[in-house]
Amino acid sequence: MSQSGSSQTEARPAGAALYGIYVVSLAASLLGNLLIRMGAEAGVLPPWGQAVLGAATAVPLMVAAVMFWRLLRRDLDEMLQRIVLEGLAFAVIVYVPLTALYLNLRTAGVWMPRLDPPDILMAPALLVAVGIALASRRYQ
Amino acid sequence: MKNSLPQLRAERGWSQGDLAERLEVSRQTVNALERGKYDPSLPLAFKIAKLFDRSIEAIFDANA
Repeated sequence: MSQSGSSQTEARPAGAALYGIYVVSLAASLLGNLLIRMGAEAGVLPPWGQAVLGAATAVPLMVAAVMFWRLLRRDLDEMLQRIVLEGLAFAVIVYVPLTALYLNLRTAGVWMPRLDPPDILMAPALLVAVGIALASRRYQ
Repeated sequence: MKNSLPQLRAERGWSQGDLAERLEVSRQTVNALERGKYDPSLPLAFKIAKLFDRSIEAIFDANA
């Protein structure tokens, strides 16, 4: 409870803005992945260029992660922290068994949709959003 | 957990936003507290008790 009152009352807009930044950062990362694959297939991107592009397009996500951590530790009050943490817990709890089920069924030869890195990246982000929405409803 | 926060706040003519500012929490948290959807931590409960000059038990009813 060391936060200032003004930042508390603005917590929701700040959180919403941060989620927007996170989605944009994720899109940048996915775009980087797409450009790397296209560049490699067309033969216009050397391996070092692919590595640089891959690292550069992941930087916004790292910045968003640091901002998210700061928001969680400094700017959210105890209930909003709880909502975010419950959302993260929901994402982990759902993501791990779903991933295990997917891998096991795929290994067993059951038809499963092919998941590319973008799909795998997007799944936890969506699950966190769903988890936070569910947790928010519980406290409204 | 039921509590008398809405009455105590109304007696003072404060809005939920006013109370949130005094407690250094969000308005959503005050709303959830008043509706009994969220139970405060012990430090926040003490802060509420001090703000209204009551004991924690006088504000929060653990049996309700």
